[in-house]
Amino acid sequence: MAPAAPRSGEAIFSSVDRVNAELFTLTYGAIVRQLLNDLEEVEEVNKQLDQMGYNIGIRLIDEFLAKSNVSRCVDFKETADMIAKVGFKMFLGVTASVTKWDADGSCCSIVLEENPLVDFVELPDTCQGLYYCNILSGVIRGALEMVAMKTEVTWIRDMLRGDDAYELQVKLLSQLPEEYPYKDDE
Amino acid sequence: MGREVSESCIDSLLIEMVSTYCNRFYANKPELAARRIESIGYQVGHQLSERYTMERPRFSDHLEAIKFICKDFWSELFKKQIDNLKTNHRGTFVLQDNNFRWLTRMSIDQSPENGTSGEAPIIADEKAVESMHLYFPCGIIRGALSNLGIPCAVSADISNLPACSFVVRIKA
Amino acid sequence: MQFFGGSEISPSPPVPTATANNAHMMYIFNRNGVCLLYREWNRPLHTLNAQQDHKLMFGLLFSLKSLTAKMDPINAEKGNLGIPQLPGQGCSFHSFRTNTYKLSFMETPSGIKFILITNPRTGDLRETLKYIYNLYVEYVAKNALYTPGTLIRCELFNTALDQYVRSIA
Repeated sequence: MAPAAPRSGEAIFSSVDRVNAELFTLTYGAIVRQLLNDLEEVEEVNKQLDQMGYNIGIRLIDEFLAKSNVSRCVDFKETADMIAKVGFKMFLGVTASVTKWDADGSCCSIVLEENPLVDFVELPDTCQGLYYCNILSGVIRGALEMVAMKTEVTWIRDMLRGDDAYELQVKLLSQLPEEYPYKDDE
Repeated sequence: MGREVSESCIDSLLIEMVSTYCNRFYANKPELAARRIESIGYQVGHQLSERYTMERPRFSDHLEAIKFICKDFWSELFKKQIDNLKTNHRGTFVLQDNNFRWLTRMSIDQSPENGTSGEAPIIADEKAVESMHLYFPCGIIRGALSNLGIPCAVSADISNLPACSFVVRIKA
Repeated sequence: MQFFGGSEISPSPPVPTATANNAHMMYIFNRNGVCLLYREWNRPLHTLNAQQDHKLMFGLLFSLKSLTAKMDPINAEKGNLGIPQLPGQGCSFHSFRTNTYKLSFMETPSGIKFILITNPRTGDLRETLKYIYNLYVEYVAKNALYTPGTLIRCELFNTALDQYVRSIA
């Protein structure tokens, strides 16, 4: 039995339960606003959004793997490609592209032309320094860590800050092999 | 139909939002966590109700507004209407959803026999988490009604899972 | 049989061909060797305490995986015996059979291991394990009351699993 080919993001997106994106967008907006109120420091809000994203990524990875039929994530290049092409489509319904690979294939950019998180959003001047979509970088970092890839994810371009697209740089720091977890040999 | 996202997006965002406020920010102050979560729901309900009533005439009375929440508003959010509406005609309304979407996957095993180790079950804790998840939809309803000019208090009753009843008490 | 509110679930459950209960027990481990779930349907004989039993099972799989990869005559990606592998690296086995039972095994790229012990006459259970992974996603990963990495105590998951394994031929 040959392993089944991974399913396309479109096919999965059309088969899963979906909700009105407005509800999602406004809920995210309300969370960011509440965090800004409660934490005051913009830097701290960025950190919390990233942490929330990381925890979400840890949960979402299994849905991604189970529904996409991806049976191995050993090669970073392949994996980053799958996350961008299948992952973004199956969850957010948007297309992401992968560009700017470095020579040794350990660093790339994920570019989003559309981003449902930011519909209806305009940042007031008081939010200087806020990475509004920081939850996304956390999700990618968390999901990749579950498939044994430690990464660093940073924003390169952000349309809310006047750039022409959303661009995240994903840099592979290390891959963690599976170790035998028990110390004592009985 | 407008833009959609996978249901998992909103589900996991809510799980994480509740956990952030209950476990990280206010681990020992559940009433503060509850207030923040309700307030996030309130903002969302207020904005959504604003959007969904833009091209509608004003509601003539409270019952009309409540019916709008049960039908149009609930359908936008959950693709179904509220199943049962009751009122005492003195400002209290009970809105029951027989299979409330945000609770359908929540479950804990109450039987002790399956423990893979001697870990004691922490059912009480989980019940508390479960009720924390209700402040968000309660906030949504309160926000939506408040946008329609109806100040009220909203609570939820889940003694009959997976049914969930929202009790709306309109402030005179 | 429908598990989730109208949504398509993939893969669809293989059609049951017999009604006998062929499943003995199931283990789910995470990548740190924690036994997240042990479920037993038909196991007349216990020789070890639960903790030793789980540890033995995890150790068996760990060694067997590294052994099968080392023996691989085709794939260059062998690694060395005893050298840790990345999840999904090298070849892997999916089942073995003794005269009294069959062990079926699936490891996800996220390091979750599903092990199902059944009657030795049971057929290929790879699709079955994939389906159980989907149940795990719906009722464990998406359960707000479940904290990732902790023991699985989800009533809906147990119910769905019990019901599903009864159909395994």
